[in-house]
Amino acid sequence: MIQVQNLSKTYRVSERQAGLTASIKSLFKPNYQEVEAVCDVSFTVDAGEMIALLGPNGAGKTTTLKMLAGLLYPTRGTARIAGYIPWERKPDYLKSISMVLGNKSQLLWDIPPLDSFRVIGEIYRVPAAEYRRNLDELIDLLDMAAVVTKPVRNLSLGERMKCELVAALLYRPKVLFLDEPTLGLDVSMQKRLRQFLAAYNRSSHVTIILTSHYMADVVELCSRVVLIHHGKLIYDGDLQALSRQLAPFKQIRLTLSSINGHLDNLPAGINVLEQEQNQLTLRVSQSESAAVTAHLLKTLPVVDLAVENPPIEAVIDQVYQGALI
Amino acid sequence: MNHRGGIVLIQATWASWLQYRSFFFVLAFGWMIPPLIYLFVWSTAAGEQTIGAFSRDAFIVYYLALILVNQLTYSQTNWTVGDVIRSGGLNPILLRPMPPLYNTLATEIAGKIVYMLFVVPITAVLALILRPEVDFELQHIVAFLPALSLAWMLRFFWGYGLALLAFWATRADALLAVQDSLLFLLAGQVAPIPLLPGVIRQAAVYLPFRYMIGFPIEILTGQLSAAEIGEGFFIQGCWLAVALGFSHLLWRYGIRHYTAVGG
Repeated sequence: MIQVQNLSKTYRVSERQAGLTASIKSLFKPNYQEVEAVCDVSFTVDAGEMIALLGPNGAGKTTTLKMLAGLLYPTRGTARIAGYIPWERKPDYLKSISMVLGNKSQLLWDIPPLDSFRVIGEIYRVPAAEYRRNLDELIDLLDMAAVVTKPVRNLSLGERMKCELVAALLYRPKVLFLDEPTLGLDVSMQKRLRQFLAAYNRSSHVTIILTSHYMADVVELCSRVVLIHHGKLIYDGDLQALSRQLAPFKQIRLTLSSINGHLDNLPAGINVLEQEQNQLTLRVSQSESAAVTAHLLKTLPVVDLAVENPPIEAVIDQVYQGALI
Repeated sequence: MNHRGGIVLIQATWASWLQYRSFFFVLAFGWMIPPLIYLFVWSTAAGEQTIGAFSRDAFIVYYLALILVNQLTYSQTNWTVGDVIRSGGLNPILLRPMPPLYNTLATEIAGKIVYMLFVVPITAVLALILRPEVDFELQHIVAFLPALSLAWMLRFFWGYGLALLAFWATRADALLAVQDSLLFLLAGQVAPIPLLPGVIRQAAVYLPFRYMIGFPIEILTGQLSAAEIGEGFFIQGCWLAVALGFSHLLWRYGIRHYTAVGG
């Protein structure tokens, strides 16, 4: 459904120091700097697949999404989505995609969402019967019958995001781009949106690319992630394999009957991540974890011991910090 | 072209504007004040005599018509196009399979309907109070209507083109303020064009501003000969062609620039 090849985008950004002199100088001789926002990114997404685009702030995720949605021309590279080149912005292409920007609304602020939905239905020329059916289904799935008749400005952020999703899906696009759909939502609202997206993805086979900073979104929704850092693709694959490949570490959590003097006896090459009274969390390389565990059990007064994969947040954090690349 | 989509968009925009009708009524009231001042100044100055070809009643009719024409041709959206471009509000609009001009036109037309709900009754009441002696001729009314439509299109596309400079310059709306000043002087607002001093009157006839406000009013109030009306339509048509071409080009290059640098 989506093929991306060597997609690159370079921005020219004007730069200047703070202060009056610098601002006058830049008026006559602006200082431009080339910023490579996205560099040679390639990946493909199958129809009906849901993938996550991950990366720290400024990594190039939104730039990539904007190019795929046809809002930006790439500097280099190609993309084909459902047979179209996105930035040609053919009406038929625009009808087959949808984009939800976490911070930009397509609803009219002062009137109930139902009115905005009707406008969207007409713009996308959804036949009346189909419109009715899609709308009922979405309202039902998102459990929002009470919401759609109130003016948008009176809705909570979560209710508004539900409406954005209805607006985005009313015309049954084949591809959906979600830029931080759960931004600013409370935990239970995040969870309900996730359940909705998972269910909708299953029932309608829409292809979804989402970006999010909440790992819970990614863990629950996407079996596959594409990781972008400094505009470059650094990982594309299974989320579970990500930690094995990028963070070949295990965490050992152990409780000792007494900690006195034992800390100094730990084998070399072990990081103590946390220590709280008699509980220790250690980080060891994956290959040594068996040997280290055996050693610990032999030499320390162990009450309880568990070997775990590091939490995904910790792995991602290490990637973002540049520790693992 | 998707006209149904456009019509529904106008309805929805109109509904959302009606939520703020009192705000827009106050705005419209503010826009009526300057013409009302000119009306009272000129009609008082004329007294029982005439200034140029204008009697007291002629001034009253001229300026009451100006209140309506000014309101109908005023393009409020020109001021918001730049903001939409700067704030990234263009992105959701660009994602739709419909020319973005529709969004601007929807706001424009919806706004006109809201303002007219206020301006027409007020003007009617003023006409009843001031009771100018007036008889419009049918052929003038017939010529007035197309001149008014063309005036609106000219004023809209001229301002739209200027507003589109926001693709390159951050505060292009300064140019709109300049345009408003020129409209004040050369479109028949501060004084009817026939009363302007020689050179300025000559300039006003060939510049586009008269054809955004003054020209239709001059037709309606019977100040122009058939030849002058014909010449006026010709100049108005030429300037409209220029404005259409200018805004079309700016949109094409602007959108290319926008998708190159990002919103």
